Amino acid sequence: MRSIDQLFEKSSRALAQRTSRRSLLAALGQVLTGAALIPLLPVDRSARAAEPAKPAKPATDDPKSCDYWKYCAVDGFLCSCCGGSSNSCPPGTAPSPITWIGTCHNPSDDRDYIVSYNDCCGKVSCGNCECNRNEREKPMYRPSRNNDLNWCMANADSNYHCSVSVILGVAEK
Amino acid sequence: MGISMKKFIIRAALLSVATCTRLFAAAPLPAEHLTVTTMPPDSPHRIYVLDEAFYNEIDARVNVFDGDTYRRLGQIDVGFTPGVNLSPDGKTTVVGTTYFSRGSRGTRTDIVEFTDNSTLKTTHEIVLPPKRAMTLPTYFNLAYSADSHFLYVSYITPAASFGVLDPAKNTVIDEIDTAGCVLVIPSGPNRVSSICESGKLLTVTLDAQGHEASRAFSDTFFDPDRDPIFAQGVPMTDGYAFLSFLGDVHEVDFSGAQPVFHKPWPLVGTADKGRWRPGGYQVGAIHRHLNKLYVPMHQGGEGSHKDGGTEIWVFDMSTHQRVARWPLAQQKVATVLAVQVSQDDKPLLFAATDHSDLAVFDALTGQLRHVEKQLGQTPWLILNP
Repeated sequence: MRSIDQLFEKSSRALAQRTSRRSLLAALGQVLTGAALIPLLPVDRSARAAEPAKPAKPATDDPKSCDYWKYCAVDGFLCSCCGGSSNSCPPGTAPSPITWIGTCHNPSDDRDYIVSYNDCCGKVSCGNCECNRNEREKPMYRPSRNNDLNWCMANADSNYHCSVSVILGVAEK
Repeated sequence: MGISMKKFIIRAALLSVATCTRLFAAAPLPAEHLTVTTMPPDSPHRIYVLDEAFYNEIDARVNVFDGDTYRRLGQIDVGFTPGVNLSPDGKTTVVGTTYFSRGSRGTRTDIVEFTDNSTLKTTHEIVLPPKRAMTLPTYFNLAYSADSHFLYVSYITPAASFGVLDPAKNTVIDEIDTAGCVLVIPSGPNRVSSICESGKLLTVTLDAQGHEASRAFSDTFFDPDRDPIFAQGVPMTDGYAFLSFLGDVHEVDFSGAQPVFHKPWPLVGTADKGRWRPGGYQVGAIHRHLNKLYVPMHQGGEGSHKDGGTEIWVFDMSTHQRVARWPLAQQKVATVLAVQVSQDDKPLLFAATDHSDLAVFDALTGQLRHVEKQLGQTPWLILNP
C-alpha cells in the first residue's frame, strides 16, 4: 500500500496541473485544513437529523457492501466485487494516479478518516456491486470533491473499471 | 388427476382437424423484401435519450424515441462517457466521445461525430486532442454557438480548458484555458461561459476566427460550500436556470455580453427546506412558452443530490409558485433521474427512471400516458430540439 506521502504528492501534482500557483496553495490549504475542519463543515446535519421518512442506511464492515463506511462518496463499481479489494485494484488493471479526497466516518471507532477515492483503469466497467453514495460530494466544477469525473482520464488506458477507497489518515477533530 | 383415455383421443382428433383446416384454408404468406426503414418526419414529441450504458461503458448509445407512437425510431452509437447535444436547428446530433483502438483498451482517440437526424447516419467527424471531459452528460459537455458557426468541447485532463471547432470545415480552431473553470455554456454567436469552483462564471468572448478576444469573471452567484448548484442547467428563453442542492433556482440571463443573475427563488418552503430536494442527473425542464418548470423532487439529506425524484413538482416561473405536485409511486413509476418537456402546445413530459424506464406524461395534467420499459441501461439525459 502506498505511503501517505506518496498519495499526497500525486494529488498535489494533479492539482498543480489543473490550477494556478495561487489556487494550488488554496487547494492544498483546503485539503490540509480539511483534515481538521471537514467534520465541522456546515454539511446540513440538522436537515438530516430532522429527516423522519428515510433513515440512514446502517454502515457495515463488509467491503463488498455499498454501505461499508469507507465508501461514503463512491460512485461506481466496488473493486472488492471485481477481483480487488477496498484498497487494491483487480489484477490486470492500473490505479489512477490522480484522484480526489474525501472524509468518511467509521462508526466502529467513531473516527473520521481522510480517504482517497481512486479508480482502477484499463478494462471495461466491472458491472458488479454498483455503489452510488455522495456524502460531501460536489459537482464537477469542484473536481477535488467530485466523483462524476472519470479519474482514469490521465491513464495510458483511460477506460474505467472500478473504484477503491484508500485510508490516508485520521481526520482529527 | 388427468382425463380419461377416451376423452384424450377425442380432443386430440378435434385439435388435429382444426389445425389441418387452418393449414389448408389460409393463403400462403407473400414473399418479403428486405428494406431499411426510413425515419419519419420530425416531430416536437421526438426525443433523444442518452443511455450511458454504465455497466459496459464503452458502448453508450442514444435511443431515438417518439412520444406519440411510443416507437423506438433508431439508435446512434456514442462510445465512451460521451457528451451529446443537438444542433440549434435540431437536424444534427453531435457527439463528443472516445474510442480505444482495441475495444476496451489501446490507443485513445477523442472525436466529435455528427449524425444526420433524418437518416441516423453518421456523416462526418473531427478528431480532438485526447483531452475531452470524461464525465456525466450535461448540455455543456459540448455545445454549438447560437448560429452554429462554432462548436465548443469541454476538456478536463484534469486541467480545464475548451476546444473551439469549426463544424463546417471539420477543424479544431483553438484551445482556450479556463483557469480551472469547467464546461461550455454557449451564448450568442461567440461567447462561452464556464462554471468556477468559486461560484463565479468565466465568460470568454471569441473573435470572428474563433480565438479568444476577451475574458471576464462574474460576481459570485452561488455558494459552492453551503448550497452548490447542479452543473446541469435547464434551458430558458434567455439563458439557463441552475437549481441548487437545497432547491433554490438561480436564473441566469446569457443574452447580453456578460451573464446577468436574477434573484434566486426557492422550490421548497421554509418548513421543508433541506427535507425535500431536487435530485438526479437532469434535474429540471422548462416549457418556455408556458413558463413552467418541472423538477424531480425527493425527501433526503446531505449527499442525496443524485437520488431520483419520487414526485414531479411543477412551478410557474413567473409567480415562483408550485402549481402541481405529481407523486410517482401511485402510478407505479420508479424514481426519476432525468426530465425533459416538449415545447409544443400539447406538451409531453418525459421522465427517465432509475429502473431504466421512460415514462411519458401529459405535461399539462400529469396524466401518465405510457411507460417504455428498459430504454437502455442507464438513461441519464433526454434531449429535444
